[in-house]
Amino acid sequence: MPKGFGDYVRRCREALREQDRSYSVRQVAQRVGVEPSFLSKVERGEVPPPSEAKILALAQELGEDPDVLLALAGKVSSDLQQAILKRPELFATLIRELKDMPDRAVLRLVREVRDGKW
Amino acid sequence: MIELRKDQLHIRFPELHPQARMSIDFQRTLRIPDDGKDYPLPAGLGRFPLRHVDDFGPDVPERWLEHGGVMLPMYQSEALWINFAGGYPFAVKIAAGKIDAVTGKTWSNSLHRHPQNYVTVPEQPWLDGYCVAKGVIRQFVAMPLGSGYSAEEQLTGEAEHGGLQIVAYPLKRDVYEEWAAKRQAVFSKSFTPMLAMRCTGVPDMGLAPGGRMRQEIYDDPFKLTDWDPEHAARCFVHIANSQVWRAITGEAPPTVPLTAREYKRNGIPWFEYYSDGKAVEGSGVLDRLKSIAQFATGQRDEPLSDNDSVEIDRIVVLRQGLEKGQVREGRF
Repeated sequence: MPKGFGDYVRRCREALREQDRSYSVRQVAQRVGVEPSFLSKVERGEVPPPSEAKILALAQELGEDPDVLLALAGKVSSDLQQAILKRPELFATLIRELKDMPDRAVLRLVREVRDGKW
Repeated sequence: MIELRKDQLHIRFPELHPQARMSIDFQRTLRIPDDGKDYPLPAGLGRFPLRHVDDFGPDVPERWLEHGGVMLPMYQSEALWINFAGGYPFAVKIAAGKIDAVTGKTWSNSLHRHPQNYVTVPEQPWLDGYCVAKGVIRQFVAMPLGSGYSAEEQLTGEAEHGGLQIVAYPLKRDVYEEWAAKRQAVFSKSFTPMLAMRCTGVPDMGLAPGGRMRQEIYDDPFKLTDWDPEHAARCFVHIANSQVWRAITGEAPPTVPLTAREYKRNGIPWFEYYSDGKAVEGSGVLDRLKSIAQFATGQRDEPLSDNDSVEIDRIVVLRQGLEKGQVREGRF
């Protein structure tokens, strides 16, 4: 079971709760659509992370990057899975090639919004 | 660098600081009545779709490809507001048709302090229109470029640019680190809030000044020299008439926006936003512009259907920074 997920969620939620009491386990669970006892167990790492949909809802609720939360939960978002499944060989090669490259080098591959002549 | 992800512009400068990032999206909203009254903030009704203009090369005007950037669809007389999110401070310049939305001056890439020609994020969570007076804006409302209504056309007599222009400057790294250390709790996240034919006509829309709304543009809490001129990200946001959006992209545009009557019937609240920040003075240039309703009177035109005044019956107050026990409720 990915250990860091629950701990990360708990730390994010508690940091928010310091400013806003509506970030209690009960209220966050309600807004995300899970039982408070389930969220509490997830945070303690007693049960596996929830489904992708619930993780995305949690990311939205906590203002966290959904891909980061999914990765901590040992999952890959379904849109990424579809992209990889369309061209598995190509993406497998690409990811293996990039895995040890520094962030800045990887970011060069990200598509930027092109600025032109105004 | 600017990326487009899930209809949102993500701006980041990882070489400057790992936290140097913010996002901008464009929210569909109610067009408030253009009746001379000051209204509170209407809710956001979802993000406008955003697409790279480069992906639709053969179907967009050549000028758009020259500008680069992205595009979104708007119906005639539809309104939008701009949503900023992020914890790292940025100075953001916004223009419509290359008319600065804060000062009414012609576009330039650079920042100026007197008068301040930009907004600061995270202090400024939203921008709904042209800053016409201290604490008052006139809503951004789409009108066909060439019809004469846009701020650009009223001020320059030309229908040349249309769209929105944005440039963002991050705070210098050392200033950020000092600021972040002083700041006990960064709570910017609370501002994240929560709308088959060939293209034969000109799809360009401009943003005209609509109804009046209570919204402050906050004075820059930093010095002008605290912003990093070496790191800037710039984006031209083209506005395509929703009627031709499908012809360009093959995608359906969002549904027709709500009318004020439907908004009220659905019990959607209005918002007031309070911050300790000092507001900048409004622009005399922008204040002298004719609103769509005023301009239409001279033209014997009736571009705004459903422009009757509305009674405000539910206002949700939002404050910058939240006190203990205060329930957070974003615009939705």
